[in-house]
Amino acid sequence: MPAIEVKQLCKVFKTHRKEAGLMGSLKGLLHRETVYKDAVKSVSFSLETGELVGFLGPNGAGKTTLLKMLSGILYPTSGSISVLGYTPWERKRDYQRQFSIVMGQKNQLWWDLPPAESFLLNRDIYDINPKDFQRTVDEMVELLDLKALLDIPVRQLSLGERMKCELLAALLHQPKVLFLDEPTIGLDVISQEKVRGFIQEYNRLKKTTVLLTSHYMQDVEQLCERVLVINHGGIVYDGSLLSLSERYIDHKVLKIRFASPQSASPPRDLKGVVEWDIHHAEIKIDKKEIAAMTYRLLGDFPVEDLSVEEVEIEEVIRRIFEER
Amino acid sequence: MKKTLSRYFSLYISFLKHNLKNEMMYRANFAINVGMDIFFMLVNVVFFSILYGNVETIGSWNFHQTLVLVGTVGIVRELAYLTFRKGFLELGEYVRTGNFDVMLHAPISAAAHLAFRHVSLTESLGEGLMGLVLVGYGFVQLGNAGLSSIGFYLLMLINSLAIYYGFCLIINSLVFWLIKSQELNTVVYYFMNTARYPRDIYHGLGKAIFTVIIPSSLIATTPATILIGRAEPALIVLTVSVAAVFLSLGLFFWNRSINFYSSASS
Repeated sequence: MPAIEVKQLCKVFKTHRKEAGLMGSLKGLLHRETVYKDAVKSVSFSLETGELVGFLGPNGAGKTTLLKMLSGILYPTSGSISVLGYTPWERKRDYQRQFSIVMGQKNQLWWDLPPAESFLLNRDIYDINPKDFQRTVDEMVELLDLKALLDIPVRQLSLGERMKCELLAALLHQPKVLFLDEPTIGLDVISQEKVRGFIQEYNRLKKTTVLLTSHYMQDVEQLCERVLVINHGGIVYDGSLLSLSERYIDHKVLKIRFASPQSASPPRDLKGVVEWDIHHAEIKIDKKEIAAMTYRLLGDFPVEDLSVEEVEIEEVIRRIFEER
Repeated sequence: MKKTLSRYFSLYISFLKHNLKNEMMYRANFAINVGMDIFFMLVNVVFFSILYGNVETIGSWNFHQTLVLVGTVGIVRELAYLTFRKGFLELGEYVRTGNFDVMLHAPISAAAHLAFRHVSLTESLGEGLMGLVLVGYGFVQLGNAGLSSIGFYLLMLINSLAIYYGFCLIINSLVFWLIKSQELNTVVYYFMNTARYPRDIYHGLGKAIFTVIIPSSLIATTPATILIGRAEPALIVLTVSVAAVFLSLGLFFWNRSINFYSSASS
């Protein structure tokens, strides 16, 4: 049985449109135009136990809405979800004890108290026995390198430190399913790296099923073998990152450094030139023509260094998102 | 059932401890809270003593009886802050910012979570302490109810708390549509303000309104009648029934309306 199974899920939000300015506000008092927005449109997918899957999509694509329905915070308009055999929005206590959701932009810790206090409270909320609790805390503190921070009020922690504490607080009850909404948002490169490393390690150690959303490509690239690309409320791709680029990209990038300065403009019959100056060149080549093109360039120019690179995954995603 | 109760009780204690730690982070605020409360309670006492300088009784309540009544309001207020009141004051902000999310996915009831998250000993402590003093003073001065009435009085206080809680739930259920809750809680504030007048001042339609629609006339009056030796069985039965109805209606509306929570995007 899959850990998570989503079928034909739809969510429509009802909002009101307001014209800008005071007059618009006054009009809004008398008559409001109702707008329906499809946040999630007929989404289906399933996750096996222990999988770490990334949700990729631009802002407003419906990622967070999906996670909120998976955790039972929101009701769907139609469709069904089964997580560990439970329907999330029934809000069964047994289900709530077995999953966790961390939102990068929300704070669940007590602002004025040290994180250790919030951990204690979570111990009581999730009814964790004190021995397990202590063991988990020790283990996580080690993994996340948090020892020095436990007694400092949360408001005095940096964003990165706070995020690590949020993660710890959310994992105390050893959830079987973990939803992470933009866990690295706003963090510096080093903190991002640490949080990422932790998620990877945790998933490996505990076999927890993890569904992660992010718009930082590196998160997904490093962590997830499988991605779900979502755009305008629908899933446009479900598969490995590798075959994603195979499917959407038919070219590679050839980079050359010349041994001696060359003419400032490329030969006229050379196609796909992205960059060209007297020292460097970057050329887009069709995958089928790589051998021929490399042969030609090596013959025509004094090449000091040459590399054939995959198109960056960000470029791939950009293409998908631009498709309508 | 018993297991659930004891779990929620220990959760309550745990939240209370955390809130106390939180409140003690801001000592000045703590002192101001208590000071302001005592001041406003004294204003109340002065107001009634001036009133009673001119009349013997109000709706058949004399000065000392009124002290018991006013004191009871203070105690109910403090008990409410010790259990649920402040959470409702914060609810609008939770809903507006989407932070209500956590209350819907944690494995405890959202209503209890909201209430416990902000239980406050100090928010109304001055009122509570002054209330105790006034009730004690009035009770001793009157001296016409036995000590056994105290236990009964406490039970009726809990009953009053149930009415207050039910009323808060009903009013605050609207927050999921209105998103802002400030005005809603102003309504609740005025509701509690009318509780300090003895029920006997109302007649006819007014009495009906302040009994079944805005049941504030029962909150302080009923417990107070017990301590001043004027307990009426009919009034007590009425108050207990009103509490049952308001509490059930409140929970009914609340449980329906949290399904309309639309969160905030992040």
